[in-house]
Amino acid sequence: MANPAEKPDPNLSTPKIEPEDEREELEDMNGDEEEEEEYEEEDDGKPQTREDAIASRIQAESLFRRMRAAPVPVRVHDVIVKGNEKTKDHVIEAEVDVVRQATTLQELLKASKVANFNLQALDIFDSVSITLDSGPPELPGTTNVVIHVVESKSPITGQIGTFTKAEARSSSLEGSLKYKNIFGYGDIWDGSLAYGCDHSAEVGLGMYLPRFRGRPTPFTSRVYLSNQDWLKFSSYKERALGLSFGLIASKYHELVYTTAWRNLIDPSKMASSSIRRQLGHNLVSALKYTFKFDQRNSSLRPTRGYSFISTSQIGGLAPDSRVLRFLRQEVDLRYAVPLGFYRAALNFGVSGGITFPWGSGYKSRASYVPERFFLGGNLSPVCSLGGPSALWGFKTRGLGPSERRREVQDDESSDTHERDFVGGDVAVTAFADLSFDFPLKWFRDRGIHGHVFACAGNMAELSENKYRKLTAPKLLETFRSSIGAGIVVPTSLFRMELNYCHILKKQEHDRAKSGLFVTFSTS
Amino acid sequence: MDLVTGQEVLDEKRSEDDHNISSWFTSTKNLSEKPLAKPSSSTKRPASSSMNLLEDLFFFFFLTRALITHTNAIMEGDQETEVYTLVARKPSFDLPTACPNCLPAYIYLKLAQLPFELAFNSTFPDSDELPYFENGTYVAYNNEDGGVIEKLKKDGIVNLDVPLQTLPEYLSLKALIVSWLGEALTYEIWVGTEGISTSKIYYSDLPWVISKALFYKQTYMAKNRLGITKETAEQREKQIYKRASEAYEALSTRLGEQKFLFEDRPSSLDAFLLSHILFIIQALPETSALRCKLLEHSNLVRYAEKLKAEFLEASSSSPSPPLHSFPSSFSRKGSKPKSKPKVEKTAEEKKFKKRARFFLAAQFLAVVMYLSVMGGGSSDELEYEDEDD
Repeated sequence: MANPAEKPDPNLSTPKIEPEDEREELEDMNGDEEEEEEYEEEDDGKPQTREDAIASRIQAESLFRRMRAAPVPVRVHDVIVKGNEKTKDHVIEAEVDVVRQATTLQELLKASKVANFNLQALDIFDSVSITLDSGPPELPGTTNVVIHVVESKSPITGQIGTFTKAEARSSSLEGSLKYKNIFGYGDIWDGSLAYGCDHSAEVGLGMYLPRFRGRPTPFTSRVYLSNQDWLKFSSYKERALGLSFGLIASKYHELVYTTAWRNLIDPSKMASSSIRRQLGHNLVSALKYTFKFDQRNSSLRPTRGYSFISTSQIGGLAPDSRVLRFLRQEVDLRYAVPLGFYRAALNFGVSGGITFPWGSGYKSRASYVPERFFLGGNLSPVCSLGGPSALWGFKTRGLGPSERRREVQDDESSDTHERDFVGGDVAVTAFADLSFDFPLKWFRDRGIHGHVFACAGNMAELSENKYRKLTAPKLLETFRSSIGAGIVVPTSLFRMELNYCHILKKQEHDRAKSGLFVTFSTS
Repeated sequence: MDLVTGQEVLDEKRSEDDHNISSWFTSTKNLSEKPLAKPSSSTKRPASSSMNLLEDLFFFFFLTRALITHTNAIMEGDQETEVYTLVARKPSFDLPTACPNCLPAYIYLKLAQLPFELAFNSTFPDSDELPYFENGTYVAYNNEDGGVIEKLKKDGIVNLDVPLQTLPEYLSLKALIVSWLGEALTYEIWVGTEGISTSKIYYSDLPWVISKALFYKQTYMAKNRLGITKETAEQREKQIYKRASEAYEALSTRLGEQKFLFEDRPSSLDAFLLSHILFIIQALPETSALRCKLLEHSNLVRYAEKLKAEFLEASSSSPSPPLHSFPSSFSRKGSKPKSKPKVEKTAEEKKFKKRARFFLAAQFLAVVMYLSVMGGGSSDELEYEDEDD
């Protein structure tokens, strides 16, 4: 009886008789390049005669017949790692641990596929291949798993991309340099520079560890220095020097701890009263937990599925009571219904958020302005997942509570004072979007489609005892809303929308206008 | 009183006034009803007609008062705070505000007997803008136009120096107090006493990490401002203390046993000098060299104690002393942040830069769109793959 673990070799020529699916599995298992002819190499190097080739083919066929008939029991005896000069063995073995638990050949093949994927995901190898070798002859029914890796020759890589940063609420261009695997633990070090549409800039250094002290999820840390310019909208500039640790990062859960020194300044000296009171230095020590469940089929053009995100943040985690204390909760729910014709889909979304200070005298204390909610901007509500942020037709920070700025006697300025948008402690938005393909094939091929939408949103202040003045009828009365239609152009860097928006309802000082409106969103 | 309690007081007052208005209307209603209720009770005809006139007058008076109060209540509700507010650093060392830059402004307003509220900002120790004086949308920052006091004088809000500015002594005394004594105080706080008092003055509300970093930053900036380096430290110290001693001597001689520096009227120089003396005596430790030099001049100490008792402690108990020495209508003469030709230039420049930015962005967009659209459906393929999952 042939050793069941013998050479599932994908390099057999004329594989007409081999079953299609098993051949695919084997090819996939061995990664993108370098199919290993391990078994054949271990022979004494005799040129393969035609008879040998036929014999090995017959053996493979019998093996596959057995595999199709019933599970073939097998036990993994040893995992051998080859090709790693820098990378520590235990880092690689931790990723392929799943292979040891396989009890049948079928399971082993599947587990090898998963292990290959895990190793590729570490992003430190140029190629990965896994082959199954026969175990020691005295132990029948065993196999050795041989992992051959080729480490990246050039450890430095650079990339440029566009992102939508949740804090800055705008799209940004980011360039980063990555230095991989310096210490052999699969560590990736990166330095990045990001520049946003709203004159915000951030420079940061980060570190990524796939395994930290045996914990199952990767560990990330980041030091950053950021500068956000909100002078035009709220008369302040925000500078922050921060350190953040990603403690848990799995498919559904994310836990991040951030500590940052934030400084609000007003070089223009035009700020309104509330903003003036908030200028100065603050220390933030906050824990943020995000639960994300995204079953939509696409984040840039969802046509089916639903998603739910909940972000909870608690600040003030330090023995010092002078550290900024606040609570923040955001919730976002999306649902996409396919309509069947022209790839049309109806997208619904509801999102809300609330923030409040805690600690002694919390009812009368003002909430921290950068932690408040601001609605409006050049983002599309369909793509910006994670809390209330954008409404079509309203400019950046263009709606909500506002205050008069400082009065300055100037012959050239008009009599009307400009206003500062100070943000709200509670915000809620909702939208409905119907997207459809155009009948022309030219548009369909390029993904250009049209959409018709409606959205509504509102904000209110709660801190400084203002919650006493807030009533549900008043909130409903002052809801802002807009409708419109437009064309969506997906490009390689971002999703662009060219919309015509009509503002149905807005309040006195909102910055919103009916007309053409362009939005940029990244996934 | 800080802003929170001030707001609460206003709220209470407003609710009080609302209650009062209704009670006034009922009382006026009663007044107007009274003569009707008793038509034939009075036999004294001439007295009753004069009583009617009196009652009409009362009615008119109460109605006007009710209208005025209600209008005030509405205005206060709309504009939140039309009261004067001085925003300064927090109090400590038994001083209303412990910051040596904020105290002169506070004392100046007290000397002028202008009613104002005091609010605090305790998170910005390294700002030049504090103290600032605000009234609705009017703000006078300390780093504009020579300081808060100068700005208040210029904008016509309160000016105690009107008859004194022409005196030659005024300028020389001002230079002496503001520059020599000011420098001596800055030196003593940051270098002489090594910043012992600064934690209570500036960093009482900031976490340790930030306060330490800002302390080093502010010490460095103070040394820079005073021109103190490793080589010049000793020589500069001697010069500063010598100048301070001479200034105390001159001021002590000038003051004698007078109540104020100039005749019997308070001036801004009294505010500066009083704040300097009070700060040194109360906030600096007893080992301070500058403090010892000051205590040698007992008439300066007595001057400070007298003025403190009369203006700072007395006025804190009395609610609203009579208003005078400020015009009823403010003539805010152009507190322009920049001069005219500069404003024009920067506005044009800004416009040009904005247009240039839009042009570049449009070009970039066009290129990206062309590449993506003409490049074919690569993004489309990705979406189809997602659908298959």
